[in-house]
Amino acid sequence: MKSRTPLMTGALLGLLAVPFAVPVHAADADWKRGRVYYRFVCTDCHKQQPGGEISPTSRTMAEWKAYFAAGKHEKGKNSLRHFVSKSYRESIKGKNQAAAKFIDVPEEELWKDVQAFAIRGAKDGDAPAKCN
Amino acid sequence: MTRRTESRSGTGRLAAWLLAGAAGLLHAAAFASTADHSQFKQLQQTFGSGPAVTTVCLECHARAADEVMASKHWTWSFPDPHSGKQLGKQNVLTSFSLGIQSNNPTCNACHIGYGWKDNSFDFTAKENVDCLVCHDTTGAYRKGTGMAGHPPVAGMALPEGTKPVDLADVAQNVGKTSRDTCGTCHFHGGGGDGVKHGDLDTSLTAPDKEVDVHMDALGLDFACTECHKTTDHQVAGSRYALTAKDPHGALMRGKDDGRNPATCQACHGNTPHKAARLDRHADKLACQTCHIPEYARGGIATKLTWDWSAAGRRDSHGQPLLTRDDHGRIVYDAKKGAFSYGEDVVPDYFWFNGKVEHLTVSDRIDPAKPVPLNRFEGSADDGESRIWPFKVMRAVQPYDRVHLTMLKAHTTGNDEDSYGRDFDWHRAIARGMKDAGKPFSGEFGFVETEMSWPITHMVAPKEQALSCVACHGAQSRLAGVPGIHVPGHHGHGWLDKLGWWLAGLTLLGVVAHGAGRAFAHRKGVRK
Amino acid sequence: MSERVYVFPLFERFWHWAQAILIMLLLVTGFEVHGTYRLLGFERAVDTHTVVAWTLVGLWVFAIFWHFTTGEWKQYIPTLTKVDAMIRYYVWGIFTDAPHPFRLTRLQKHNPLQRLAYLGVMTFIGPLLWVTGWLYLFYASWPAWGLERYLSLEWVSFFHTAGAFMMLLFLIAHLYLITTGHTVFSHLKAMFTGWEETD
Repeated sequence: MKSRTPLMTGALLGLLAVPFAVPVHAADADWKRGRVYYRFVCTDCHKQQPGGEISPTSRTMAEWKAYFAAGKHEKGKNSLRHFVSKSYRESIKGKNQAAAKFIDVPEEELWKDVQAFAIRGAKDGDAPAKCN
Repeated sequence: MTRRTESRSGTGRLAAWLLAGAAGLLHAAAFASTADHSQFKQLQQTFGSGPAVTTVCLECHARAADEVMASKHWTWSFPDPHSGKQLGKQNVLTSFSLGIQSNNPTCNACHIGYGWKDNSFDFTAKENVDCLVCHDTTGAYRKGTGMAGHPPVAGMALPEGTKPVDLADVAQNVGKTSRDTCGTCHFHGGGGDGVKHGDLDTSLTAPDKEVDVHMDALGLDFACTECHKTTDHQVAGSRYALTAKDPHGALMRGKDDGRNPATCQACHGNTPHKAARLDRHADKLACQTCHIPEYARGGIATKLTWDWSAAGRRDSHGQPLLTRDDHGRIVYDAKKGAFSYGEDVVPDYFWFNGKVEHLTVSDRIDPAKPVPLNRFEGSADDGESRIWPFKVMRAVQPYDRVHLTMLKAHTTGNDEDSYGRDFDWHRAIARGMKDAGKPFSGEFGFVETEMSWPITHMVAPKEQALSCVACHGAQSRLAGVPGIHVPGHHGHGWLDKLGWWLAGLTLLGVVAHGAGRAFAHRKGVRK
Repeated sequence: MSERVYVFPLFERFWHWAQAILIMLLLVTGFEVHGTYRLLGFERAVDTHTVVAWTLVGLWVFAIFWHFTTGEWKQYIPTLTKVDAMIRYYVWGIFTDAPHPFRLTRLQKHNPLQRLAYLGVMTFIGPLLWVTGWLYLFYASWPAWGLERYLSLEWVSFFHTAGAFMMLLFLIAHLYLITTGHTVFSHLKAMFTGWEETD
């Protein structure tokens, strides 16, 4: 299953992109799933950290985009993307229901979902959102 | 990605197979619709206004506008079968806004239509139906503030800082309604997040199980329509037509037998507990009474009091005063008055039989005591009632000292009559009553009001339902509710007194008798 | 010189003590359910009360069987003979070391006042508590049994509480009167050994 998923995703993208040539926009990612992951994984952990919670509204869209592009967590100590990875979800699924619920979602999709939510909820986004 | 699964491209079976496989792999998170609207030519254009989108929607969904126009969402009017009164937002009063008529551009941002800015609004124009506010899935659709239900669109003269909505993108991604779309209005009633209802706020967009077991984003994740089952755009389970008791078994979904599908019993039946003793409580109590131990549990406060009479204060520089509390909530606003809020609020409880009496601006009031803006009827012995939890909103608002009626006022906008501009109650009321078509004597005062809101959302996990002792104890949540005997809370008055007196006297008697024997015995021994 | 009479067979002694414990537990938990004080917590008090009540019912089934098969029920046939003498004894004679007016035998092990008191407990206080207790327990079944129209929880609770107070009064008097035997502890001892000492 695992190895087939990227292949199929690629095939699907191709299939859809060719006949309709619709630009890939934010709506293609599931921002609602991103919201759940953001709140129940990111926020859940962040609120126990010294830095505290970070609301999507605390950054602008440009800041979020830059943040995700850089992909650095804790000032580069580890990669941001690690926190949506399957292995990370696997490691916390015992104590985190959201990680357990989305355990089979391909990392690529979840990565996009979380970005979609953060950018949509940014200070200047379509629907500014708090973390809870 | 996932929402493209129904594409009927020429690539045929292979695509279909791949897509089916992908759909199975992925959690079906957000299938917008079975028809991919982004492919429709008609929607691939730049829309200059909401009605332009609706016109396109109606090309296929021919009956949709007629259905919406038959609903309270459109008419904001409800002929109450019990009282014969016309209810609905057009007619009833609340503590949160002093009537909609003169405040249409603001209030009607929550109307399911476009352009209801004054009495000239055409309620028969189908293109005025707003499809997007309910069927948006992008989260990007918004009706503008003070725009009478229109979304801000590029090209319009928009207030500084207002972000335009890309209507084409929204229209291409329409889908089923969701907690987000319903919540656009229902979470913000009364002018802000969680303000009005107490059991409806944005914490329910993605709540955890503690906040609501049914809407739990990681669990059941119910959309509103799971309970408020909607057919032909008619949404079941209105606050104006509540089912106070539903002593029946579970309802078969989809079977129309005239019952309200939004009651708890519609799914859970009338005997959901392991212990018959608990089931038996349901002949007096609504399910909500035990299963919603507190409201406003999601971290968003609800307004509990609103004193309009305090409005109009300015600071030392002559600027209208605005004060926030430690949580950043506005507790004083010169345009609106003084407020207080609550989180995790314990409800008030009273009998309710499904009939609600709403006060309208034509009804006479008694200003000597708090005026009930609505009254939930019911009693212990009418056989129709259950004890329900309520949020009671307390306010101080204007009334007509001569006609003895409540008053509407023009409290929004920025024109010369608007209260928020000159803080002139007289002008604001005169305008409000004129727009409502009701008389105003010119003399007004302020009176305390109470308005009750039934609590039915934010159902807690069963482990957090009220424990027995919440009612069956000296401190009882049901203290003061008439017509019930609550063991552990209600004693038996004179019987208890008599019983303990007799027990005390008997004890005293035997002690005295024993002492007498001991005394007599000692004397006897000495003798 | 005192004699010894074997009055309480093993089963009767077991019945008595088991019943004593159960009734005291019912009083303690019952008055908590009633709201008089807080001890176990309402829910645990209700649960305990229910279990203990059913245990007592079970015990009574055996006790009734025993009373009828052994003919011991005759011990409770009421009599007014010597009741006046008994009352005079408790009011006066007991203080002046007068002889006990009742002479206990195997066939008549209860004095006339005891007979009346125990009969009252078994035929009035007991059934009152039982019937109201069952109605209380089966509150959920009233509609199914067609009782809904005739009963209210408040009155069922009222009579159950009234029965509980009567039982409490009996218990206080009973506990005191066991000290009025040949010696202060002879009645108590008899209830353990079965052998009663008499004058």
